[in-house]
Amino acid sequence: MIGESLKRFMCMGCGFLYDEVFGLPEHGLAPGTRWADIPEDWVCPDCGTPKHRFEMVEIPYAAGQPLPPASAQQTA
Amino acid sequence: MHANFVMRASERGYNKFLSTGESSSYIGGHPEAIVTRHSSFNFGPYETGRAGFGRVRVFGDETFSGAGCGYNIHPHHNFIICAFVLQGQLTHVNTVGNIDQLTPGDFYAFSAGSGGKHCELNLKSDDMHAIYIWIMPDQLFLPPSYSRSHFDALANRNKLVTLVGNADGALRVSQDIKVSRLVSDASMTLNYAPTSTSHGVYAFVLEGEVARDEITLGRRDSTGIWGAQRIEFRTGTQETDLLIVETAP
Repeated sequence: MIGESLKRFMCMGCGFLYDEVFGLPEHGLAPGTRWADIPEDWVCPDCGTPKHRFEMVEIPYAAGQPLPPASAQQTA
Repeated sequence: MHANFVMRASERGYNKFLSTGESSSYIGGHPEAIVTRHSSFNFGPYETGRAGFGRVRVFGDETFSGAGCGYNIHPHHNFIICAFVLQGQLTHVNTVGNIDQLTPGDFYAFSAGSGGKHCELNLKSDDMHAIYIWIMPDQLFLPPSYSRSHFDALANRNKLVTLVGNADGALRVSQDIKVSRLVSDASMTLNYAPTSTSHGVYAFVLEGEVARDEITLGRRDSTGIWGAQRIEFRTGTQETDLLIVETAP
């Protein structure tokens, strides 16, 4: 796995995105956590869809995304 | 995902959800309310079929039976969710700021983008019947959006009309995809030319009969076709209603 670029996975139940770069610190997955290292019984935090129903995607982020942490954002 | 196929109506996934029990956080309505879903592609508990078609992941033929029946408000990201109402009345509520009511011919495109919730309800005692299509976006976390329009079957009789995609009067979505519809009241030939031979075409017969080559597709049968420069569809003599989804690979 070393040297392999970090990947993005999308939930086929709701569209929730797991990006290995960012992890999900609020759900105990540190930034950089590889998809393969997430337990097989893990489910989508938004809709409960099982891990095996996520699909790896190679879709770019829209302009300005992903947003920086809320604390760093300024209101328009 | 790039082999041609014919999918008979009975070969699709079938799920029935009650407004009580395990799925009750999603399914609303009185205890007797029921959502039924025929899925062309894997979705929810249906996992043994095709993964999708091009940029399409969900193609659901759904009926909400019972007043108040439908999906309670729930979150989405990224997917572009389109609904085409065939029968009854659909009430759609979303966090973009829309409370919308759609009747036959009406359709919407809800792009969940960076995050949005929606609720899909049938408030009437008559069944609500709609086709739901979920499309992968070409960018992640777009600003959420909602748009809606109407397909006038009478005014467009025997004419293919593009409802979603890059065409005059169509709802624009952030993906290389086109959804078109043809309602015919007599036998006619439609020569469909995909944007390129790398595009795929998924044709779904809503009503009536459609022939392609030697194959006749009946009500709710469908076919997926890749690599064609031109596809000839012949509609039956009875009223025919055909939905065509063209997608990048």
